[in-house]
Amino acid sequence: MRAMSSSLILNPKSQIQNALPALVAFVLVLALWEAAVWLLGIPVYLLPAPSQIGQTFGERPAYLLQIGLATFRNALLGCAIGCGLGCLVAAVCVRWRPLADGLVPFAVASNAIPIIALSPLLGIWLGSVSSASKVAVVAVMTFFPTLVNVYRGLMSPSHDALQLMRSYAASQRDVFLKLRAPAALPFLFTALRICATLSMIGAVVAEFFGGPQNSLGVYIKSQAGILRTREAWSAILVACLLGIVFYAAVALVERRVVHWAGERR
Amino acid sequence: MPEPIIAFERVSKVYPGTEGPVTALHDISLAIGQGEFVSLIGPSGCGKSTLMRLIGDLEQPTGGTLHVKNKTPHQARLDRDYGIVFQAPVLYEWRSVRKNVELPLEIMGFPAEQRRERAMALLRLVGLADWGESFPWQLSGGMQQRVSIARALSFNPSIVLMDEPFGALDEITRERMQDELLNIWSAAERQTTVIFVTHSIPEAVFLSDQVVVMSPRPGRVKRVVPIDLPRPRRFETRESPRFFELVTEVREGLREG
Repeated sequence: MRAMSSSLILNPKSQIQNALPALVAFVLVLALWEAAVWLLGIPVYLLPAPSQIGQTFGERPAYLLQIGLATFRNALLGCAIGCGLGCLVAAVCVRWRPLADGLVPFAVASNAIPIIALSPLLGIWLGSVSSASKVAVVAVMTFFPTLVNVYRGLMSPSHDALQLMRSYAASQRDVFLKLRAPAALPFLFTALRICATLSMIGAVVAEFFGGPQNSLGVYIKSQAGILRTREAWSAILVACLLGIVFYAAVALVERRVVHWAGERR
Repeated sequence: MPEPIIAFERVSKVYPGTEGPVTALHDISLAIGQGEFVSLIGPSGCGKSTLMRLIGDLEQPTGGTLHVKNKTPHQARLDRDYGIVFQAPVLYEWRSVRKNVELPLEIMGFPAEQRRERAMALLRLVGLADWGESFPWQLSGGMQQRVSIARALSFNPSIVLMDEPFGALDEITRERMQDELLNIWSAAERQTTVIFVTHSIPEAVFLSDQVVVMSPRPGRVKRVVPIDLPRPRRFETRESPRFFELVTEVREGLREG
């Protein structure tokens, strides 16, 4: 506890120091981009300068954020469903190993499958303009990584740790709640961080195949289609910001919950 | 010897192997009295850990009978007669040191206040009273193993099974832990029966009332050496002539195998 509280005080400082090179690199890239556009005279429909993108965003931030949040809502809902089901199925797999033997190899293999390609089909099943098909794409995308990671986490306790529980004549419920579930928490958060990224990608790309008018994917696609690249880029900027916020929120909760691993990361 | 608390009668343990069955333990007959400190010693593959695991119902014999407190080991486990210490401390890293010691008490349904009291008392006993709210990774290997011992004793089991608990520690820490273990055991009036698996001859002699010398292929008991060194045993015990005689006797027992 002593070291933990001191780390909470010490960490922000070291974090800023750690983030400094990345920040410098980010600013440098933006400056290069800006300079390249102006010096090489790149036409705006090919690549607008960062300042132009920022300006376009500034012209209608409320609208962009509104369509951003509409897409974000699908991402969040889909992620909640996918991750929730992933955890549930992982827990059932632990109790009933034949299911795990049958399912987990496919879940692992699904990493190699571009699930996003299913998007038009889900559109047929659930309505291509509806939110439901977007939520479904995200749910399917996030289900498998969560299942695989959480299952690994639930199976991670050592033989001795399980034998210890056995020696106490612990119930299945206690073994799950006091050993497997806490041991799986770091794995769950690894999955959630992956899923935060995936769900934003899934939600935006799914909208490329059709979606409600006021959504990021539809907006990006339609604006790019008529070469209004500044508008498209400003929407991409919103997608990036929301993705980062989602990821950061997960990482923040992770630091709080998986506090025991914090010192060694 | 009074009524034995652990009684092996012609116990054997055979594992099915890919190239025919492997006999891990052959025809073991052994009686251990209540409150005895018994070490199992022998080269690797002699089945000393298996013998301990049979007592604790972590594995089951394939032949003969084994009784613990006149019950089957299975019943004894359900009655929570065993505290176990492994070679690795096996602490749950998400729990504070105190919460680790409370773990068995939690599972056995002790009320929170009693759990806390008992855990703190044991942490004092193993010299870690100030570390209750720390997390396992903040402790050295020796300290972690002391937490593991405190956890094993927290619910006052009548039998403590220790599987090379000091095997991963350096020699200096190891001897200090041996002294502490005897102190802790004495603090419980030596009512607790301890089964201690080790591959260190001086460790076995220093700690035990009886040293069970085992030999491999198939695992069997070569000899049981009673240790008549007076208790309490101290630093000087390790330098007494009788200590060396007994070490020699155990060593010869091992060589016969």
